[in-house]
Amino acid sequence: MRRPRLSLREQPLPGGQPLAFGTGLLIALIVGTVLLLAAGHEPLKIYSRMFEASLGDPDAWAVTINRAVPLGLAGLAVAVAGSMGLWNIGAEGQIMAGAIAAAWVARIGGDWPGIVLITMMLIAALGGGGILALGPALARAKLGVNEIITTLMLNEVAIRLVQWLIHGPWKDPDSYNFPLAPMLPDQARLPTLFSRAHFGLLIAAAVIVIASVAVRYTAWGYELRIAGSSEATARYSGISLSKKVLTVLVLSGAIAGLAGGVELTGTADRLTETISNGFGFAGIIVAALALMRPSGVAVVALLFGAVQIGGQSIQTLGVSSSVSTILQAFVLFGAIGAGVFSRYRVVLDTDARSTNRELSDD
Amino acid sequence: MTEASLIGLFVATVSFGALLYLAALGELLAEKAGVLNLGVEGMMAVGAVTAFIAGVELKNPWAALLVAMLSSAILASVHGFFTVGLGAEQVVSGLSLTILGLGLAAYLGKDYVGLPPGAELVPVEWAGLSDLPWVGPIFFSQAPIVYLALLMGITVSFVLSSTRLGLALRAAGESASSTDSAGHSVLGLRLSAVAAGGALAGASGAYLTLSITPQWAEGLTAGRGWIAVALVIFGAWRPGRVGIGALIFGGTLALKTRLQTFGVDFSPIILSMLPYVLTLVILLVISIQARKRPSPAPFGLGLAYRREER
Repeated sequence: MRRPRLSLREQPLPGGQPLAFGTGLLIALIVGTVLLLAAGHEPLKIYSRMFEASLGDPDAWAVTINRAVPLGLAGLAVAVAGSMGLWNIGAEGQIMAGAIAAAWVARIGGDWPGIVLITMMLIAALGGGGILALGPALARAKLGVNEIITTLMLNEVAIRLVQWLIHGPWKDPDSYNFPLAPMLPDQARLPTLFSRAHFGLLIAAAVIVIASVAVRYTAWGYELRIAGSSEATARYSGISLSKKVLTVLVLSGAIAGLAGGVELTGTADRLTETISNGFGFAGIIVAALALMRPSGVAVVALLFGAVQIGGQSIQTLGVSSSVSTILQAFVLFGAIGAGVFSRYRVVLDTDARSTNRELSDD
Repeated sequence: MTEASLIGLFVATVSFGALLYLAALGELLAEKAGVLNLGVEGMMAVGAVTAFIAGVELKNPWAALLVAMLSSAILASVHGFFTVGLGAEQVVSGLSLTILGLGLAAYLGKDYVGLPPGAELVPVEWAGLSDLPWVGPIFFSQAPIVYLALLMGITVSFVLSSTRLGLALRAAGESASSTDSAGHSVLGLRLSAVAAGGALAGASGAYLTLSITPQWAEGLTAGRGWIAVALVIFGAWRPGRVGIGALIFGGTLALKTRLQTFGVDFSPIILSMLPYVLTLVILLVISIQARKRPSPAPFGLGLAYRREER
């Protein structure tokens, strides 16, 4: 009997990752067609609407870009930690912590000039995200506590913190008893670049470029990647692992926090409990699709943003939003599978017993 | 605070505890075999919706429970295929499974939102025992799934600690290569553990729509899948301790909606942070103790196994 088995390729397939994403999209397209037909829709009409709404014209691009900004920053946060082999599952919570910190600055600086206020809000957002990551970072660096679970748990704490704030201390007295935080001051809005695309694009691009260069071309980044590929090698070459873990996880949290700050000043008009909108979890996917390379995050975030915006747009055609959620999941699984096959090939194992039988048959 | 409201609190504690326990037991099985499955929330949602749909269509609560367990086991097997079969990253696949499960649940359930239930699992009456003061209503008037959860806890505990299958399963989670050398199929063990874990998460979801809140709405699972993941750590990967943890965490869920009736001036939102904060504390304690004795976490948790790479 011949059994299929995965065997490591000597070289990953060239272009394997774009291929993986493309395969994911293709699989999602096929599954989506089945789901849409089952629900009595015309798939072609739906897909062309998805494309138009996400990439069809400059206005559509603007909406997609505004979505790609938090996705890219969250993805970068995960990828920076991932370059060192660490999993920051807490971007979702850190985004909320960043947004809380930024909203707090807006509360005390309501009469500051716009540029000062926005700058302070974004700095606070970096701090907020960093502080939420500090606990898991310390626990991992000093006690070796697995950061996956600690960061995951803090997500749930952070969302409840936002809920508590908008139900309690920060509830807008003019909101007729609805649990709503007050509107941000007008000058706390990020300026727009074109159509509805806001300044966050430049912030995200700058941060992604800086981080990519730092990880790829500096001694700091080199040590980081060594620590990520082999802890032992890093230790023998005198790299202080615990210091690295601490700085990288806090940095990762700060970047995610920045995503929250940018989202607050860029697209939201007040702090809400849906401010992070799943960006933190999507960021993990974005980073994984970009193979934890900060430089790859931007492209993946843009594509993933387009998928999300396209998926939302078809709700106006009466397609349930769950279809777009399912499509996203299939993009992910398709890409995960294709990612494996770009590094492995399938070989058919001939096990000893069947070989003997084949020989004796001769 | 009246006696009735206090009894009500404990009844809800046991019921929420069983809900969390079923899902956590499933996660424990998978993790013991070495597979971290962060898709619990999605599997619970699928279990909840399929149980409700099957209840409406088949009018039989037990058939509905079975459908839910089967559906979630199939969903879990998607995670099994990618992580165990292909060796893909468990964290990414598990989170994707949550997205897939929540999406599927919403898609399947969209025509069932707000419908009356077709079948419910009604509380069991135990002759004589149910009429006892306090213990009667708290322990002997619960829905049958509560007793199922207890039974599953005992079964999982027994299988893991005292059977060859359990030994092989634990071995697959501790050291896959030596399990393989000993002639066991790591692939088979891990896949079955993941699927069985899915079935338990499905039963947990079914408990929601067949008994606790017998209707379907999107977002019904409300993050309880994440509590189940936390519980496994809180209980240090031991079925008994996880059960105690389930009661504690179930208590916070039960208390959350009752704080006001008890006249306690404390934010229910802050209270609902408690399970996660407690888990973080326990994690710290475990790791401080781990300096003296080995960590209770399965050694191979999260690691893919490929024979040629051992």
